[in-house]
Amino acid sequence: MLSIKNLEAGYGKVKVLHGISIDVPKGQVITLIGSNGAGKTTTMRAITGMIKPTGGEVTLSGEKIDGYDSYKIARLGLAHSPEGRRVFTTMSVTDNLLLGAFPRFTGSRPKGDIKEDLEKSLEMFPRLKERRNQLAGTLSGGEQQMLAMARAVMLNPEIILLDEPSMGLAPILVEEVFKIISNLKSQGVTMLLVEQFAAAALNVADYGYVLENGKIATHGPAAKLKDDPAVKAAYLGGASSH
Amino acid sequence: MMKLKSHIPLLIAIVGLFCLPLFIHNPYYIHLAETILIYTILLFGLDIVVGYIGQVSLGHAALFGIGSYTAGVLYFHFGWAIWGTIPASIIVTAIFGGILALPALKVIGPYLAMVTLAFGTIAQILINEMTWLTEGPLGIKIPKPDLMGVPMTKAEYFWLVSVVLIISLIVVDRFVKSQVGRAFEALRDSPIACDCMGVSVYRFKVIAFVISAGFAGLAGCLYAYSEQYISPNTYNNELAVLFLLGIIMGGRKSRLGAAIGAAIIVLLPKLLDDINLFRIVASIIAIVVVAGAVMALSKKLTTPRRVAIPIAGVVGLAAFSFWLNSISDWRLSIFGFMILLVVYYLQNGIVGFTKSFYQSMVGKAKTTRGEDAEVVDDSISFISTVANQNTGAELLKVESLLMQFGGLKALNNVDLSVKRGTIHGLIGPNGSGKSTMMNVLTGIYVPTAGSVLYAGESVVGKTSSDIALSGIARTFQNVQLFGEMTAIQNILVGLHHTFKSNIVEIALHLPRYKREEAEAHARALALLKFVGLDDLANEEARNLPYGKQRLLEIARALALDPELLLLDEPAAGLTSPDIKELLRIIRKIRDSGITFILIEHHMDVVMSVCDTVSVLDFGQKIAEGKPAEVQADEKVIHAYLGT
Amino acid sequence: MDMFAQILSSGIAVGMIYAVIAFGFQLTFSTSGTLNFGQGEALMLGALVGLTCVDTFGMNYWVMIPIVCIFGMIQGSFVELIGVRPAIKIKSEFGWIMSTIALGIIFKNVAENVWGRDALPFPSPLPMEPMTFLGANILPMEILVVFGALAMMLLVEFFNRKTIYGKAVVATANDRDAAGLMGINTSMVITFSYALSSLTAAFAGVLIAPLTLTGAMMGGALGLKAFAVAIIGGLSSGMGIIVGGLILGIVETATGFYISTGYKDVPGLILLLLVLAYKPSGLFGKSAIKKV
Repeated sequence: MLSIKNLEAGYGKVKVLHGISIDVPKGQVITLIGSNGAGKTTTMRAITGMIKPTGGEVTLSGEKIDGYDSYKIARLGLAHSPEGRRVFTTMSVTDNLLLGAFPRFTGSRPKGDIKEDLEKSLEMFPRLKERRNQLAGTLSGGEQQMLAMARAVMLNPEIILLDEPSMGLAPILVEEVFKIISNLKSQGVTMLLVEQFAAAALNVADYGYVLENGKIATHGPAAKLKDDPAVKAAYLGGASSH
Repeated sequence: MMKLKSHIPLLIAIVGLFCLPLFIHNPYYIHLAETILIYTILLFGLDIVVGYIGQVSLGHAALFGIGSYTAGVLYFHFGWAIWGTIPASIIVTAIFGGILALPALKVIGPYLAMVTLAFGTIAQILINEMTWLTEGPLGIKIPKPDLMGVPMTKAEYFWLVSVVLIISLIVVDRFVKSQVGRAFEALRDSPIACDCMGVSVYRFKVIAFVISAGFAGLAGCLYAYSEQYISPNTYNNELAVLFLLGIIMGGRKSRLGAAIGAAIIVLLPKLLDDINLFRIVASIIAIVVVAGAVMALSKKLTTPRRVAIPIAGVVGLAAFSFWLNSISDWRLSIFGFMILLVVYYLQNGIVGFTKSFYQSMVGKAKTTRGEDAEVVDDSISFISTVANQNTGAELLKVESLLMQFGGLKALNNVDLSVKRGTIHGLIGPNGSGKSTMMNVLTGIYVPTAGSVLYAGESVVGKTSSDIALSGIARTFQNVQLFGEMTAIQNILVGLHHTFKSNIVEIALHLPRYKREEAEAHARALALLKFVGLDDLANEEARNLPYGKQRLLEIARALALDPELLLLDEPAAGLTSPDIKELLRIIRKIRDSGITFILIEHHMDVVMSVCDTVSVLDFGQKIAEGKPAEVQADEKVIHAYLGT
Repeated sequence: MDMFAQILSSGIAVGMIYAVIAFGFQLTFSTSGTLNFGQGEALMLGALVGLTCVDTFGMNYWVMIPIVCIFGMIQGSFVELIGVRPAIKIKSEFGWIMSTIALGIIFKNVAENVWGRDALPFPSPLPMEPMTFLGANILPMEILVVFGALAMMLLVEFFNRKTIYGKAVVATANDRDAAGLMGINTSMVITFSYALSSLTAAFAGVLIAPLTLTGAMMGGALGLKAFAVAIIGGLSSGMGIIVGGLILGIVETATGFYISTGYKDVPGLILLLLVLAYKPSGLFGKSAIKKV
């Protein structure tokens, strides 16, 4: 479904990604883990057009999307719940969700029944249902994360990219968030999950990639990676010294 | 000897200037030349705001007018002579420049432009309405000044203006090349870094406006005697825009640019009054541009697409001129088009464009130090060994620090104690409050509650620049170098605090200033050598490779003679060899007694160089101790990995 | 009391015009962080085009309004395309400030050449006899101005809140990157916000034209004062703009009456400078937190 080959990207003079390759098959949950500064968010941004890749290829369902503007990529069915949530703070929960379905309103994506999907979304995220008319800026961190994910679901996307959904959340909320991710997984939604919390991510994913200093250090089935000492080293240093 | 050679073109120009009235007797042309000289003085001043602090000012026509009217009013009501009105105009206009600076302190960009526009409008209205002082719309007539009891001739006044111009040229040039000029550019490139290097943004903004206004006032005064009649409607917004066009088109940060710009804005309206002359000039320009484009295309320096618009523009202009019978009605549109052209295609003005065009044709000049290669004086101790070598004593004490933004507690009841001579690491996941802590320590944020004691004194409520001057220096997570300035100039800004000389000493190049400049220069070079950048001293900071930029930031921070150095993710984005170099430098600095707080994600860096490590999570301290202890701490592992 | 009511009523009418123009500043600033220094000229062109429709083509005032609005949209898109978009691309603030100023100058000069430099009278669609209310003379046209301005702003608010396209505009203003992730073409949103901004200015132009003289000169002072209103009210607050407009309009009218018409413009400008000196985010705006 989503295929990334030798992706290179950075910010101005700083090159962050030095050629990474990731494969996201349809119906699976793939996770990209690594410590801060490794380049996880840069990878997400490069895929979804927030920054332009300087090398390599990104293919979505056979179409080359590297270099496309964000809005074009969204209209092709790739939903992104970005780092830091980025909900529209001056708009209500309902409006945020409706905007998630924007391409469906304008005809770039199959329309379906937007109203019904809205209600279904609110059922899946009960905290949001209670606050449907509240301004998104007044929601707590955990609720905003729910909103960002629900908003991504509203696109009826081919694939959802989740960027650090656990960031800044208390452990209880992190649990809730991952429950929802499991829920989506059981509905067959394809996902690429970038996470700082390796443990939780590897629990829910099928396959994992470990990013270190802009390169893939190791990858494998999630269950195997969980016990791999290389993962711990990537985060806390120790065994491997440069 | 080298210096004299490079001044030859200037000396020729000066001689030519003085000879002008001897060869040209038509008063019309002398007057035209005089106006160009006067506008040049004004543009010197405007350049300080536009070129050096990098802001748009629409208020300089009003300042020009205040200068003229100071002279006019003092002459009309009190009979003052020019020898009094010149200093008076300078001082009064400078004061108004200071007044203009006040609302402009906290704002930049479009807001600042609007402040200057509002100021200009108010000034014009006041001059028009306060008829008891200014005679309002009637205007004031001013005769040529007296020289030894007899009114000056046209030629004599011209020479007076020329002398004033040359003095202004020297003064402006000395200013902008001094620590004051560097402070202006630092302000433009990164106000936050500027404050954190001990150079107060507010203070220098005011100074810039005051000096700029002084020149405008001087020009205004000379203009009054030149025109011999002043009235309010001259000093309108159209003139203000014209001045801007002049300096941008001529070239910012260049005295020659100011002169070229002045010539353009004086001669252009005259050109537009004569349609035949305009047709000739427009055709010549079109031919030159097309020829230049063809040359550039043949050397593959540009693409057809990029030259399409400028060519269409100048050819269209030439065609337009043949179609019309009179172009003076379209004067303003021509100005408008010229502004558009300059903003998009001639950003560095004629001077800048000519330089780069010449370089690209002839081959880039070597930017290395070449003949002027300065030998680094290795005997200079560039890191002042911290006087109080009380290693182990407490230098920084943070107690119960609370930093709240609305509902979010970025720092929640944090205690921190940093001992002298140690490297104290500060780690934690994204959003845990590390950078917030840095910003509180350097005065960028004022804490909601709690105390921060540095060497026994509270830091809370002090300005960033005061904190920097008291001994806390920092680097930034996203490099905040002064991009358009060279590496050595960046360090010289850090050394600003070593300069005690004032405006007069700079203008006259008195011994104290020259000594301070030489010492700072030597020290800056030594600092550059310390971080391995001495051969890149004259390279613009923004052109340096990323790793070297980070090292330059550290060298700049050292220039402050700090006791406490805060490094914010110094290893971010660095390759392995760069990191080794970084560690070596950090250790060397620590050996001279400077204390560190180091924010880092690179665990290897933290483990190998820190004496103590504090761990933050969700704005709270969750662990503290020696690196190895912290690395094995359960809570820390959980915070990072989530197991 | 009569004088007070008169100042109030005239001030309100003038203030609402400033508010409508300021509204245009807010539209473009919120979505793109830029604004049109030639906004006053957009108003002036709207008024002159309206005058031509009514005088030369004999159109009915009410029929002319939509035509002027369409003209405004085209003019606004032109400004964005030529002046703003290239500057945003090269990330040059200096660029769009100078180019919108330049375009303003060009428009004014073109207007001078096409319509002449004299101020022209604009035929009023409503009777010119003043009505009296609480001791004040109020022209029917002034009431139309107030209602027209309010109606325009309410219409845009309605668009923003109730239609999905309007929500897309608000989303772009709130977070441009995130809006892009929703599939919203944010470049187009910015062009649209400029089109809308000039539309409101042109509309304001035909509203105020019957009350004053119409000519190439009318844009200058209006633009600056509208900016003052936008700053005083706060560039992020719609309510603030109406309040700011009313404050400025009333203070200005009072100054003109009690001191002299020459000084009329001064208090507003001084108020602008004071607000920028002490609370740059405006009386109703929110201050931004520095991020380093």
